[in-house]
Amino acid sequence: MILLIILLLPIVTGLFLLLLRNPATVRIIALTSAIVNLLITLGLIISVPSASYTVNWSHFMGTQFSLGFDGISLIMILLTNLLFPFIILSGFTRAHIKIPVLNFLILFTQSALLGVFLAQNAFLFYIFWELTLIPVYFILLLWGGENRRAITLKFFIYTLTGSLFLLFGIIYLFTLTPGIHTTDFSAFNQLHIPAATQTWLFWILFVAFAIKMPVFPFHTWQPSTYTMASKQGVMILAGVLTKMGIYGALRFLFPIVPQGVVYWQNTVIIMCLIGVVYASVIAFRQTNIKRLIAFSSMAHISLMAAAMFVLNYYSLQGLFFQVISHGVTIVALFYVVHLVQERTGTLELPQMGGLKHAAPNMAILLLIVVLGSIALPLTAGFVGEFLIITGLAQFSIWFAILGGSTMILGAIYMLYAYQRIMLGDINPAYIKVKDIRALDFFVLIPLIALILILGIYPQPILNLVEESVKAMQNLIPVN
Amino acid sequence: MSALILLTVFGIIVLYLGFANNKKILAPVAITGLLISMFLSIKDWNLGSKYFHDMMIIDNFSIAFNVSMVIITILIFLFGVNYYKRMEHHVAEQYALMIFALTGAFLMTSFSNLIMLFLGIEILSIPLYILAGGKKSSFRSNEASFKYFLLGSFATTFFLFGIALVYGASATFYLPEIKTYIAQFNGHLPPMLMVGLLFILIGVSFKVAVAPFHFWSPDVYEGSPTLVTAFMATVVKTAGFAAFYRLLGMGLLPLPGPLEKTLWVMTMLSLLVGNLAALRQTNFKRLLAYSAIVHTGFMMLAMLSQHDSSASVLLYYTFVYSLATVPLFIIFIYMKRASSGLEELSIFRGLYKQKPWMAVFMTILLMSLAGLPPTAGFLAKYRVFILSISQGYLAISIFAIVMAIIGVYYYFYVLRETFSESDNPNPIEISRLNSLLIVVCGVAVLLLGIFVWSVPI
Repeated sequence: MILLIILLLPIVTGLFLLLLRNPATVRIIALTSAIVNLLITLGLIISVPSASYTVNWSHFMGTQFSLGFDGISLIMILLTNLLFPFIILSGFTRAHIKIPVLNFLILFTQSALLGVFLAQNAFLFYIFWELTLIPVYFILLLWGGENRRAITLKFFIYTLTGSLFLLFGIIYLFTLTPGIHTTDFSAFNQLHIPAATQTWLFWILFVAFAIKMPVFPFHTWQPSTYTMASKQGVMILAGVLTKMGIYGALRFLFPIVPQGVVYWQNTVIIMCLIGVVYASVIAFRQTNIKRLIAFSSMAHISLMAAAMFVLNYYSLQGLFFQVISHGVTIVALFYVVHLVQERTGTLELPQMGGLKHAAPNMAILLLIVVLGSIALPLTAGFVGEFLIITGLAQFSIWFAILGGSTMILGAIYMLYAYQRIMLGDINPAYIKVKDIRALDFFVLIPLIALILILGIYPQPILNLVEESVKAMQNLIPVN
Repeated sequence: MSALILLTVFGIIVLYLGFANNKKILAPVAITGLLISMFLSIKDWNLGSKYFHDMMIIDNFSIAFNVSMVIITILIFLFGVNYYKRMEHHVAEQYALMIFALTGAFLMTSFSNLIMLFLGIEILSIPLYILAGGKKSSFRSNEASFKYFLLGSFATTFFLFGIALVYGASATFYLPEIKTYIAQFNGHLPPMLMVGLLFILIGVSFKVAVAPFHFWSPDVYEGSPTLVTAFMATVVKTAGFAAFYRLLGMGLLPLPGPLEKTLWVMTMLSLLVGNLAALRQTNFKRLLAYSAIVHTGFMMLAMLSQHDSSASVLLYYTFVYSLATVPLFIIFIYMKRASSGLEELSIFRGLYKQKPWMAVFMTILLMSLAGLPPTAGFLAKYRVFILSISQGYLAISIFAIVMAIIGVYYYFYVLRETFSESDNPNPIEISRLNSLLIVVCGVAVLLLGIFVWSVPI
């Protein structure tokens, strides 16, 4: 029952918001609902060892509306509910038009995401998986920036393409289940699929997740979409939506097609590591700060994907930790970038410079976030990437070297970007730029605190996923 | 049977009511007739009555399809109340002709004899030829009517020729007897029978507009009055598929190899040609015409994946498809009026600005056609894919899935227009009744996507 509350609270609040007119009330209610949901989630993590909710949906299609969770879902739910209060809060600044609709769409996304992470039935999973696309599509279409009409359509079709292959995979697995066919994950997990089938089924399932993450070479939708998206849009996309890909891969690939995973392990890791280097190099060449961060995010996600396929204890621990840390860092990063854009009216690096003189507080906060993003020790990013690279090194030292290049290259392009925004002589046009306001403190200080706390004391998160990591490891046959 | 007779009687009554010069009573009378006949149809559930020396067998299959067609026709009539307000003369004929076409559709769902099927197809088609030319002063409408008539008769000729050849070989019109006759050849049919069957399939394929027999449909859809187009795209297609399924299920299955391959090729062609052509359309009615061809492909997929539940899936698919298509045509009518007669996709611009709720329901309807969850259209496609994959047609299923992705592009193109700003906004006026109906359809599409049903037919 508690799972149903977590799932439905956002969407129900969202529907209620549509009836209201006053933007201030709408925002407060939306924020309250998100915070309440976060508290419920924390309560769930602390005190409820297991919970589930099952209703029979359609007998002849073998589908059940069943919710449940394990360590992996918990991490994802925690991330979602942790970030959404900040995403809603960051919309308090400027008077957008149609605030109720915007907040409804954001809360709708939250519900759909939670559904993805809670679903225990592949059919239900798929419904929520697709459902996240709809509100995000409208957030991008209605509040996006330049050239949004073409870009959103590309984004939508691109991600949907992967999803439909996933649908094929689900139906195929459905027809394989013994007895009365069902789409329950528990039934899928017990299938013994011939190795030859697993090798092709792996790709049918993986494409959807590879596009969502995105992994090289399925990433081409990402940079333009991030660049064009509004502040809240990009926070949802980069913070949570990318993690759906990781979660989906963990749910589908490793338990259901383990031999396929083993067969393609090296290929996928190499693809991911190419993505790491490729994205880092391209990020260095960007002049648009949002594009730069988009590529940097891709580099980090690619490293996480590589860690997932390495599949040893350290890499998995690192992966789950990095899910949280990357989510928090990227949201903070995009928030500051949008602050800079609001103040200066541009995203182009060559036009900026010397902002630190006009806005010293902003400069300090951006510095901490940037350091978190390049995984400096004592920030959350360091713990995650250190674990991941340890895991990679156990698998192959060459992989570790390639993977480690994210940290080096990341430091180069992020610090270079920071330099060009904040340091140097001030552009005369920006002398009167205002420093950050109270609201920005409310958003940034907690996020930065999280980055630091997790960096100094990562144990709670690691404990949370400990059992799941061990379970994941046992799925793969030792060769 | 009583349902069929009653429908004919009501058709004639509505026709004569035209003399009363009172447009207001036409729709209520027609809808009453449809409701009564629906009720009578349902009463025959599980009876399996046979008529005219078994030429007609009204079993659960035919009842389910009849009821679904009656519901859609009622929907179209309700929309028609407003649509025909502007028309001064010959309104009664419009209703009556649609009812007559529906009687033909009833025959097509319940035949067990090729002659009965032929009668059904003709009774369905002839009113449609007239309805397509409903706008007498419009050049396009006349063209549509003439084209439909000419090509339709051509297809009928093929069909009749096929029946004659099959009769020549097997000496019977009865499907079950034809089935036993075919079975004795063990797949190696004599040429006359083969050609006969091929011609029959061509005739039916023309009616449901499967590629490569689809060329009439975009022109006819575009030229016909929009409400008639909605009727053709939904009720006529449902009837055609019911007949097609019955023809295969009762008589021709298992199809001889070459014929089955032909049908599979036609299925894939429909998906491909419909999609590729739809991508290039700028006219909304033509877009829906091509999208209808794609949906035909999916229905063929359901039909050809032989399984016990094929009929049920086909029914679900056609019904859900109709439920989304009809209100889209109606929204189109209003947008066309607001933009002084244009039919381009760009006329939808500004709908979200002026009527946000209409835009929301348009989104739901388009999503259903595109097959996205949580709408019924998604479940329909899902069930079709379950059928085809469980019957082992993996490659074709993947092909169909790729086609479904392409479909999303043009539906969302329309959606994008809906949510764009208009350059010169004209006031969009949607009557109260029609808004309500669109909302009902949208909600129904959502609910059908959540509460799944399967009729045992």
